Amino acid sequence: MSDSDTTRRRFLTAAGSAAAAVSLAGCSEGGDTTPTPGDDGTPEPTATDSPEGTPTERPEPETREGYLQRANRLIHDEAPWVFLNRQYSVYGQSTDIEWSPRRDERVAAYAISPANDDGEDVVMTQSQMDSGVDPQDHRETPTDNIVLQAYEGLLERDAEGAIVQKLATDYTRLDETTVQFTVRDDVSFHSGDSLTPEDVSFSINRIVDDEVGIVSPQSDQLIGVTGAEVSSESDRTVDVSLSGLNPIVFQSFATYCDVMNRSWVEENENAYVNQNMDGTGPFAMTNYEQGVEVSFERYEDYWDEPAAISTFTINSAGESSTRVNRLISGESDIAVNVPPQEVSRVDGNDGTAVSAVPSTRVLFNGMRYDLEPFSSPEFRQAINYAIDLDSIIQNVLQTFGDPTGQPTLEGFFGYNGDLDPYPQDQEMAEQLIEESGHAGAEIELVTPIGRYLRDVEIAQAVGGQVDELSNVSATVRQVEFSTLVSQVTTGNIEDKPPWYLLGWGNATFDAIQTIQPLLASDGSLTSYSNEELDRLLEEAQSLPSESN
Amino acid sequence: MAYGRFLLKRGLQGIGVVWGVVTVVFMLRFITPGSPVDTVAPLDADQETRRRIAEDLGLNEPLYVQYGNYIWDLLHGDMGYSYISSIPASAQVFSKLPATIELAVAASVVAIVISIPLGVVSATRRHQPADYGATTFSLVGISTPNFWLGIMLVLVFAVELNVFPTSGRAYGFADSVAAIYGPAPFFEVATAWLASLFLPAITLGTYFTALITRLTRSGMLDELGKGYVTATRAKGLPESLVKYKHVLRNTLVPVITVLGLQLGTLIGGAVITEAVFAWPGLGTEIIQAINARDWPILQGSLIVIGTAFVVVNIAVDALYAYLDPRVVA
Repeated sequence: MSDSDTTRRRFLTAAGSAAAAVSLAGCSEGGDTTPTPGDDGTPEPTATDSPEGTPTERPEPETREGYLQRANRLIHDEAPWVFLNRQYSVYGQSTDIEWSPRRDERVAAYAISPANDDGEDVVMTQSQMDSGVDPQDHRETPTDNIVLQAYEGLLERDAEGAIVQKLATDYTRLDETTVQFTVRDDVSFHSGDSLTPEDVSFSINRIVDDEVGIVSPQSDQLIGVTGAEVSSESDRTVDVSLSGLNPIVFQSFATYCDVMNRSWVEENENAYVNQNMDGTGPFAMTNYEQGVEVSFERYEDYWDEPAAISTFTINSAGESSTRVNRLISGESDIAVNVPPQEVSRVDGNDGTAVSAVPSTRVLFNGMRYDLEPFSSPEFRQAINYAIDLDSIIQNVLQTFGDPTGQPTLEGFFGYNGDLDPYPQDQEMAEQLIEESGHAGAEIELVTPIGRYLRDVEIAQAVGGQVDELSNVSATVRQVEFSTLVSQVTTGNIEDKPPWYLLGWGNATFDAIQTIQPLLASDGSLTSYSNEELDRLLEEAQSLPSESN
Repeated sequence: MAYGRFLLKRGLQGIGVVWGVVTVVFMLRFITPGSPVDTVAPLDADQETRRRIAEDLGLNEPLYVQYGNYIWDLLHGDMGYSYISSIPASAQVFSKLPATIELAVAASVVAIVISIPLGVVSATRRHQPADYGATTFSLVGISTPNFWLGIMLVLVFAVELNVFPTSGRAYGFADSVAAIYGPAPFFEVATAWLASLFLPAITLGTYFTALITRLTRSGMLDELGKGYVTATRAKGLPESLVKYKHVLRNTLVPVITVLGLQLGTLIGGAVITEAVFAWPGLGTEIIQAINARDWPILQGSLIVIGTAFVVVNIAVDALYAYLDPRVVA
């Protein structure tokens, strides 16, 4: 990548502005102001300082990662959320196959190897089927799992989340508003057509431009991308135009933007494209029964090494016990979303085992900053101190979760490794509530039912632990997820419940994709507003990513 | 002639009921929380994206325009397109209908084959061990929740004994018929079809079996106490003829009514059984459509079920009137 020019330019800008020290929310008056090593090598206050304190002067971060890490510290200290847990993806799998789950919850059959002769033909049962197999007309994991067997993008992520090249052999930033991909040669679609740069530019435009076929729900994922055109047929290069710098443009392309066969798409109706596939991926679809089953067979002319298994079939069962029954009886080789209560059944059975991997989803309680008592940082911190996260993870999630103390998950770009989750300290919680002036407050936690792993049980644990405090009472109200969604997505903070449980998946592995929509003042789902946070995010978005 | 007028009257009533169902189903969308846009759009979609999606789905039109368009399209066999998959709703709904009908019919067959003989035996051997066994079975059958029974049957017969598949629908009735003429081995296809159908049919049919057993027993006992039975016995008719020609025929009139009503209920009520067995029928489709706020699919499914219910009831009325001409008079 040729990021050096823009990095240098932004560095000069940042260095200039660094002369003017900024205030940092998160230092308490009279608190421990002893500097500790900061995220980007600069002195930092301790994590437990009050946000209402005296600003501490320190130099501006020099990198995008530094800004994001500082944003995470501010969020940790201001506590606009009750920080809960990172979810795990838990699978049951047959010993007939060798496979390790990915962190982004996607199951690529290309990564499955047979452990014996029975492992040649693999069946996977997930909780639901696709919403049509147009790879650009959806944005949910069950459909991803189906289309990614047959389609692939320019870039992709490996099991650990690192970007790898697929249909692009090179990618580079030409200037602040243009990036360029070089398209792989000798690639064929399952229909036999050869992949051309024209197919690539068409695919990008089909996502970002409503006039090209469909209104793609992935357009937000490529936000800032305004279009694409073939710059050189002979060099097989495609130039992608951006509205601004867009520091995570390559991360976005590694998550969405499967490449489709232009002529095949244009020759067929949308309904046909939603029931048939013509990709370049390692498996070609052999049967599609809407809502029931999709079957694939190995594509022998795949541009890379052919897949290790011969066939791959995906079916679904909404009931978790049914998925586990299929696995145990040998009808399936992989069961997706095995809940904690079914783990012992899978592990205790000969021929099956449980695999778990930390997912990209964080669970939290949003608290509206514009309403009492949640308008008080002390009150919000108190709620965090009231929670025994370790107990929730041990007893409710049966260890399939990690405690969090910031919106960004470990391993993501911008994660701040110096921030620990809030420890449970009920005395501190009660004291902070007194200081906030909201002693005696009655609060209600709104939780969706069954949307996230053990969501209701987690909410009940949170509500119960907060209710144990002597100077606040808490209750839990369960609602359908669609009801909660209709409240949080209106773009108006006043429509949101004051305190609600939500989960957020971030497949870009970049902090901005969590913080911007959920916590920035202009975020589409925000429950919070803080000028300093907005400034840090703006600075971060004006710099390119150094890695990831 | 009177019978013809009776059928015509019932048919017109049925059309009115179906229109009512269509209207109620259409209005449901406007009184339930949540918008289809919430499902189609990503959580973090901005308001402009939501507006574009709403426009794309035709949700911006006034209510009366949407209703008028919907009725007009429905009369032309068009149920719209799935918000989620973009597939025509009619194709999607009707592709799931055979699985549900198959399950409902299989459950009814199970119920009829078991319940009527059991009810007759129970009534004719009153206060004997067979009667106690039959009434105990009825009580247990009526009291057992479908989902629990289904899970237990799967654990025992599929997971532990491995004699039936745990879930899913291997083949359908049509596949089995096609296998007679086609290249697929008939025996293999038919066996797989029946094996996958067996446990769901038992699960769905158990309550129904228990109900009809009790109904047959009480009906038989009621009829056996009537004067015409004494008269036929006095004429010297053999006891088997008295019971099975006269008494059973009269007993079956209310039983057939309940059978018909229950068949409609089975088609609509297979939702839980379909969920437990991941049976790809209308019940599963309805649950998915509700979760996804996929209104064209939900409306189409409910209209089909409502229409099936009406048609079955008209057929039952016709049969009832045939068996008991006093109904027409």
